[in-house]
Amino acid sequence: MSAQQERPGYPAPVLAATILAAEGVSFLLVGSAALWLHGVPIPVGDADVVIEPAEENLRRLGDALAEFALRHQELPRVRALPWLNVLRVVTSYGIVDCLLERGRLDWQKLCQSAVRIPVADVDVPVAAQADVWALRRRFKG
Amino acid sequence: MGDRSGVGLVECTILEALDSLGARPRRHRRSAKVLERVEERIGLAPGYAYEVLLDLARPWKMPLLLVDGQGNFGSRGNDPAANYRYTDAGLTRAGEVVLAAERGELAPVPVGLINGNVYREGLRPPFCPQAIIEALREVIQRPRVTSKDLASIVGPPCFLNGCTVTGDYAAMAAGRPTTLRLEARVTMSDDHRRVLIENFPPNANPDEVAHTLADRARMRTWAAEHPGLYGRTHLPLGDLRDESSQARDTDLLVCVPARGTTAEQLREQLMNVYGVYTTVRVDLPRSLPAMLRNWVKAHADEDLLNSLAALENAVRSQAARS
Repeated sequence: MSAQQERPGYPAPVLAATILAAEGVSFLLVGSAALWLHGVPIPVGDADVVIEPAEENLRRLGDALAEFALRHQELPRVRALPWLNVLRVVTSYGIVDCLLERGRLDWQKLCQSAVRIPVADVDVPVAAQADVWALRRRFKG
Repeated sequence: MGDRSGVGLVECTILEALDSLGARPRRHRRSAKVLERVEERIGLAPGYAYEVLLDLARPWKMPLLLVDGQGNFGSRGNDPAANYRYTDAGLTRAGEVVLAAERGELAPVPVGLINGNVYREGLRPPFCPQAIIEALREVIQRPRVTSKDLASIVGPPCFLNGCTVTGDYAAMAAGRPTTLRLEARVTMSDDHRRVLIENFPPNANPDEVAHTLADRARMRTWAAEHPGLYGRTHLPLGDLRDESSQARDTDLLVCVPARGTTAEQLREQLMNVYGVYTTVRVDLPRSLPAMLRNWVKAHADEDLLNSLAALENAVRSQAARS
């Protein structure tokens, strides 16, 4: 049994990322939610997702966020997404940070060692643990 | 920021403007006039200054209110405040004390320490006014009081509205960044058929929460493909009623479970909906005991006990009014 299966429930931000995956958005989970899924005992504050920069994927992201964002009026237009760095969205599962610039810069590199971890009956794409730690060191100090 | 009260520059200017117009507790002046004065003094346009003025009068924003608002100052939900041409504002007793401290008529008062700045996306949480006053008195009267005792006198942050605060208080008091969880009060009705949500966290919008709950109860396009996820995320909600009352200044959502679900099961799931709970990141500039000691040390040559007594009276006056 894997670490995450032993736990009674998933942190809400992990479910937020899982819904994004169910909605067909291509992304890689990083940050504390990714570490939690890798079995690291860590409090999960939000879901950090590196978004694949393809135009079609950004459209899917826009549709998915329109479905589950709490404040629709704060969502940018889909055509603005390719120029945003980070899009912070408050959802009923907590805060989701869409790392759009990181996707434009590092998508291919992060994909090379990414894994898929099952949450409920959805495979959630998660960056490799070493990559998640490296990003944390770089951006959180 | 006013060095002698810890209150921000714009806030202090608003208090000065109110005072210059003769606004006092129960003697209100039109907000438009106040904002005109603010613009004359610091050039801040009325639209921006009004947001700050509104916050200073909103009881769900900060423990110690500096402005007494009259008229529609908005709600915690989506109901906005009336335009500044149609609202009135006066100084509260605490507002008067802050002004007196800023002008040197009174020794400094720790209002910035009490109110924090989380309500404006800052990292300093608010604390119970009486607890901060007590802790500062301890530092003045017993300089060797231990840091542990001081942290215990201050207690957890005071996020108002009666919401429950949990988290690593020790880390917060030690000046380390941490995330606190704020939870609304979620209880069962007497007949155990409904779930009642009230005392929302200050950074939650009850109207948004109602919208979210309804949204979480509807069918998803991916439900058939991912029944496991749907089962985990779908809210078994049969009916939702907003029984908030602006007259009583209360927010109350009444949730009726869907057929086949008990109110207890629904309650469990509601506790995991963002909005029913929220999180807030806090990071004090240094440890809480050090902040208290530094505050006393910085003003050691002034009559702090007198100013703390004046502030305590203002706190009592606010409590009596509410």
